[in-house]
Amino acid sequence: MKKSEAEIIREYAFEGVESVGGVSFDGEQVWFAAGGRLIAFDPDTGKTTRILDIAAHAGTAFDGKHLYQIAEDRILKIEPDSGRVVSTIPAPGGGRDSGMAWAEGSLWVGQYRDRTIHQIDPETGKILRTIESNRFVTGVSWVDGELWHGTWEENHSDVRRIDPQTGEVIERLEMPQGVFVSGLESDGQDRFFCGSGSTNNKVRAIRRPKRDRK
Amino acid sequence: MDSLITAAARALAAGDPLGALKRVALRDDAPALALRGIAMARLGDFARAKELLRRAGRAFGPREAIARARCVVAEAEIALVSRDLSFPKKALAAARATLAAHGDALNAAHAGYLEIRRLLLIGSLDAAERMLDDLDPAPFPPALRVGHELVVAGIAMRRLRTKPAREALARARDAARRAGIAELAAEVESTAHLLATPAARLIARGTERPLRLEEVEALLASKALVVDACRYVVRDIGTTISLTRRPVLFALARALGEAWPQDVSRGTLIARAFRGKHADESHRARLRVEIGRLRRALQPLADLSATPDGFVLEPRGRRNVAVLALPVEEEHAEVLAFLADGEAWSSSALSVALGASQRTVQRALDALAATGKVQSVGRARARRWMTPPVPGFTTTLLLPAPLPNG
Repeated sequence: MKKSEAEIIREYAFEGVESVGGVSFDGEQVWFAAGGRLIAFDPDTGKTTRILDIAAHAGTAFDGKHLYQIAEDRILKIEPDSGRVVSTIPAPGGGRDSGMAWAEGSLWVGQYRDRTIHQIDPETGKILRTIESNRFVTGVSWVDGELWHGTWEENHSDVRRIDPQTGEVIERLEMPQGVFVSGLESDGQDRFFCGSGSTNNKVRAIRRPKRDRK
Repeated sequence: MDSLITAAARALAAGDPLGALKRVALRDDAPALALRGIAMARLGDFARAKELLRRAGRAFGPREAIARARCVVAEAEIALVSRDLSFPKKALAAARATLAAHGDALNAAHAGYLEIRRLLLIGSLDAAERMLDDLDPAPFPPALRVGHELVVAGIAMRRLRTKPAREALARARDAARRAGIAELAAEVESTAHLLATPAARLIARGTERPLRLEEVEALLASKALVVDACRYVVRDIGTTISLTRRPVLFALARALGEAWPQDVSRGTLIARAFRGKHADESHRARLRVEIGRLRRALQPLADLSATPDGFVLEPRGRRNVAVLALPVEEEHAEVLAFLADGEAWSSSALSVALGASQRTVQRALDALAATGKVQSVGRARARRWMTPPVPGFTTTLLLPAPLPNG
């Protein structure tokens, strides 16, 4: 297992935001769950670009067309342009859910204190597979075939890459003391975006480790 | 935090404890128990709240020290609000140390204020002041700032320093406005109201009138010789003679102070000091002894002279004499004074606060209850005493924020 310190590239702070839950990226904008709103911003300028008035309590994901948002014990499927909720499915953890990512036609949903990640059918919510972690799971992200998730336990956070088959930890980026990770999403390039839970109003960009990409 | 906990915490923060309960009612994991506990406390069910928080504290894992400590702090706040002074203060101090060690400065400070408020409530002003000196309020958010200023004002008022009390209240009002929490603003106002209500009675030259706190302060800062029936002392600005352990001498001093500059007859003095219906020779002999003792005790401040009929107080220097008495004097006035804060007290808490035995307190409560001056709720150990409700009374319940890492 590789272990290194997370390198924080940039912090985006948002006036009037009390907590940052899920984080997602639609190719241009970063979306994040701010409790009663979904907020989008441009990661280059930091300017807010969209605000949708939708309950948003945990993970956020994007499938290329729709946003998915965990609210209470449901997953909402949302049209980003209109903000309309087109369908809902039960969240696999029944409200114990934290992060969420989209990959390969499935949703991947973290279940916080149960230290698990479920792969579910986005149409029905049916659990297809469950991966175990050994820490509380916050954000979940897929990038270039790698499964990453954030953790937050014992007052400490890291961002880690795990083997999606075995759950084995392959690589860990340690967050500084007192800096917590809630949501997690990559921009597909060299950045991860992380939420900060209810500790403050920031979204942080951290450096994604470089490696030879096939 | 998971999705439903986030949703419930948001409901709680928005002043909707029922909405919070609805979301986590069926969950028994640690953060859900903690949230349910805080919601129940906001709804006023302190017994249930305490039990839920205790269960939450146990349910958090051994490595979740911060979450456990926050549960202890929340439990302590409930104990304080419900006047359950038997709360183990060691647990609170330990929780405060844990929070400080883990960088949760805000909740650590909140825990510190709970300790200070407990000390204030039981009248340990010196200890409260010492603890307050160690807290720097500058980095606190407005809500905690309000708590700080109210404690500063509370100490200043009990120390009869009305100007610093007023200044602290002005800062508290400002912070409450910035915090935007209605309960806090109401608590500031009810504290400010205390400055405007009579704190004592002045009896001088045969008349009496109510005094506000700052008038008491002015009186004590004047040249007057004050017979202080609130503290059982005779004092001027430079000298205080305590008669707390000499009730007969104090009764005589008070009778002489009330009548000054007139004298007081032997018969009246005997009746006041010995509660005798009529004076016989043995009473007269005893009076002579006690007057001799009082003369020696008051020697730095005043002389006692015999008159044809009795005795007269003669203060040294050209000064007035005044008697300061409690605003309402009746039996068990001290018990009523504590209950007048509008809270529900257990008899054991009253006994801690008054420094009297539980039996004494119980007798006083029974007597007051018989005349409808106090009422009780609950049974056995859960029994609480209060004065009949005062409309508009509020109390702060600033339980620490729901546990972000829970």
